[in-house]
Amino acid sequence: MVQPISGQAIYVVLMREIKRYWRAKARIISSIAQSFFFLLFFGMGVGSMFSGGSFGPGGYLGYIAPGIIGMGLLFGSVFSGVSVIFDRQFGFMKEMLVAPVSRTSIIIGKILGGALTASIQGVILLGVSTLIGAFSFVPLPLFVIGVLLSIGVMILITAGFVGLGVAIGSSLNDFHAFQLLVTFVIWPLFMLSGVFFPFTGAPSWLQIAMLCDPMFYGVEAMRVCLGSPVSLDLITIFSGIPVIGPVLVMVPWLVPILVLVLFTSIMVAIGTFLFSRAQV
Amino acid sequence: MAIIEVEELTKIFNGDIRAVDGISFKVEEGELLGFLGPNGAGKTTTLNMLSTLLKPTSGSAIVNGHDILENPDAVRRSIGFVFQDPTLDTELTGRENLDFHGRIYGLKRKVRVERIKEMLEIVQLEDRADDLVKTYSGGMKRRLEIARGLLHYPKVLFLDEPTLGLDPQTRRAIWEHIQRLNEDEKVTIILTTHYTEEADYLCNRIQIIDFGKLVAVGTPNDLKSRLEGDIVSLVFKDPAHLMKIHPLFKGKDWVSSAIPVAGDGGNAGGMSRMMEIMRRIARGRGGMGGMGGLAGMGAGGGHGGGGIRIPKRYKEMIAKAMSSKGGLSAMMKAGAKQLNLLVDDGGHRIPEIVKIVDGAGVELESVELHKPTLDDVFLATTGRSIRDERGSFTETIRRRRITRSARGMRVRG
Ligand SMILES: Nc1ncnc2c1ncn2[C@@H]1O[C@H](COP(=O)(O)OP(=O)(O)OP(=O)(O)O)[C@@H](O)[C@H]1O
Ligand SMILES: [Mg+2]
Repeated sequence: MVQPISGQAIYVVLMREIKRYWRAKARIISSIAQSFFFLLFFGMGVGSMFSGGSFGPGGYLGYIAPGIIGMGLLFGSVFSGVSVIFDRQFGFMKEMLVAPVSRTSIIIGKILGGALTASIQGVILLGVSTLIGAFSFVPLPLFVIGVLLSIGVMILITAGFVGLGVAIGSSLNDFHAFQLLVTFVIWPLFMLSGVFFPFTGAPSWLQIAMLCDPMFYGVEAMRVCLGSPVSLDLITIFSGIPVIGPVLVMVPWLVPILVLVLFTSIMVAIGTFLFSRAQV
Repeated sequence: MAIIEVEELTKIFNGDIRAVDGISFKVEEGELLGFLGPNGAGKTTTLNMLSTLLKPTSGSAIVNGHDILENPDAVRRSIGFVFQDPTLDTELTGRENLDFHGRIYGLKRKVRVERIKEMLEIVQLEDRADDLVKTYSGGMKRRLEIARGLLHYPKVLFLDEPTLGLDPQTRRAIWEHIQRLNEDEKVTIILTTHYTEEADYLCNRIQIIDFGKLVAVGTPNDLKSRLEGDIVSLVFKDPAHLMKIHPLFKGKDWVSSAIPVAGDGGNAGGMSRMMEIMRRIARGRGGMGGMGGLAGMGAGGGHGGGGIRIPKRYKEMIAKAMSSKGGLSAMMKAGAKQLNLLVDDGGHRIPEIVKIVDGAGVELESVELHKPTLDDVFLATTGRSIRDERGSFTETIRRRRITRSARGMRVRG
């Protein structure tokens, strides 16, 4: 079946997401405050236990800051994806589903809107982290470039997780399952992403779990942009891949980026598929 | 040419709820077709299938030349829909909801702005247009919903109880707009409603649907004239009196039918409906054949005589009622005080009717005579008063709430 994409439809759905995001001030504020507390209390508190350079040039604060930003991206994007449940609950879904546009256009608008709002959130958190001094170790010109690159990475990460949210939201019928989703999907994704502890040195079963967590690559990618090196073990693992292995060793940041691109494409495809099958 | 062709359309929910049961019908281009039926008859489910929101269990339908299963995108490009349930984004303003609709339906900016202004005027929401919808009253939300649905001029428009709970003035304004869309813009319209005066006023043709099947089709006048004679309504002081009198009229050859009607606050509507079902079971077949003077009211296309499927919950209720001694009269005591008789030449029969009632030693509260209305047709075909809008409990509450807030708005505004 042909599903023509309508730019206008993508635009209106996207604008709706942005308006709704902007009007939910309490959500914005609490998400920023949550990240802020993590950085300030956890980052500085736990950070004071480590004096050496085991967490790279930025110390513990510089180490967890990209991950805390990643947390904002993760929660924001998955939530905006599963908001299809609420759209269905409150009926607006019907308005979109009988509209003379393909469901693909609607879902692309939804995913772009979710990715954009979650990334705006990420940029705000980036600003907060900078103010706290998490990135004071990075030279200014590099930092400016890093910020620009990390915005690109944010969009990539969030698009994938909005896709995941849409896929889950389209398959769940009631929003009581929401709490289960937070506990069994979002928190593990977050905890395994290597925000608080490095990949190197973790028990091997944990390493395997981390390797399966797309958010782990997201945090790695954010770290690369913001001045921390990619985990060496990660490169070693992926260097074994024939043909592209050696390239990966030479350009270490390619690993997380390629994994993210793959993850995001698959999630967007699955989300779109499950969404377009949905009935009211 | 038929713009909608429905062939044996069926929807079964959860394996056993036969919401729509093999209905077939055609709608000509430019028609304004009314769908009447008791709660749960399958009206909304039918519209949902025609608008590609639901996949039929079996059967097919063509809308504006496109198959709903093979080409749903093209079907959606041909239609508009005002839903029965709320479908607004309450986090947006009224105007933003309309703008979303206008844009996603591809209205050019100039047309969009004009239509939004026009519709806001019709539903009298100009001064609240820029407030968030969550601050609206129920009636205001309903009006906004209608305004949105009428913003673009599709080939086919589905209106699912559009004026539910609105005050008469707003309803009138919306009727006029609907009529204008139909006549000037050549929009074919299917409208469901529980207001017979709405169906009477607006519709060229009416289909009465019950238990997912068409039970009667025709123009409003057509349907009314099929009830030959006059309706004589007898109101008793006590439902028990009705019980006593009811059988006395059954044998009379000048009485085509005698149907108990729900009294104020009574639930006899549901009861009489159950009795109707029992009557059908007792006859061992369904359809309209057993309805006395109504024989032949079955829908065209050979659907009149098909066996009806009784929903499980009714079966259980019926079984219970029949097993308990005096179950039937207990049911009657539930509230029906009014008996509607379809009588040839009612005016001349009234003295005789009163005499029969007197002879049985029962006191009448009132007697009323009128020409058959659509309400009577509805009652006769579904065994249920159309005013007895007793759906689920929440449904009733919701309707009340909408009505109340709509009224409240009128007083303030
Ligand atoms: N999603 C669903 N799942 C299960 N059953 C459903 C669903 N939607 C409708 N039904 C059932 O299908 C039947 C027909 O419902 P429908 O909404 O089409 O009735 P309706 O004629 O529109 O009634 P009303 O006048 O109350 O709006 C009802 O018995 C209802 O309970
Ligand atoms: Mg309905």
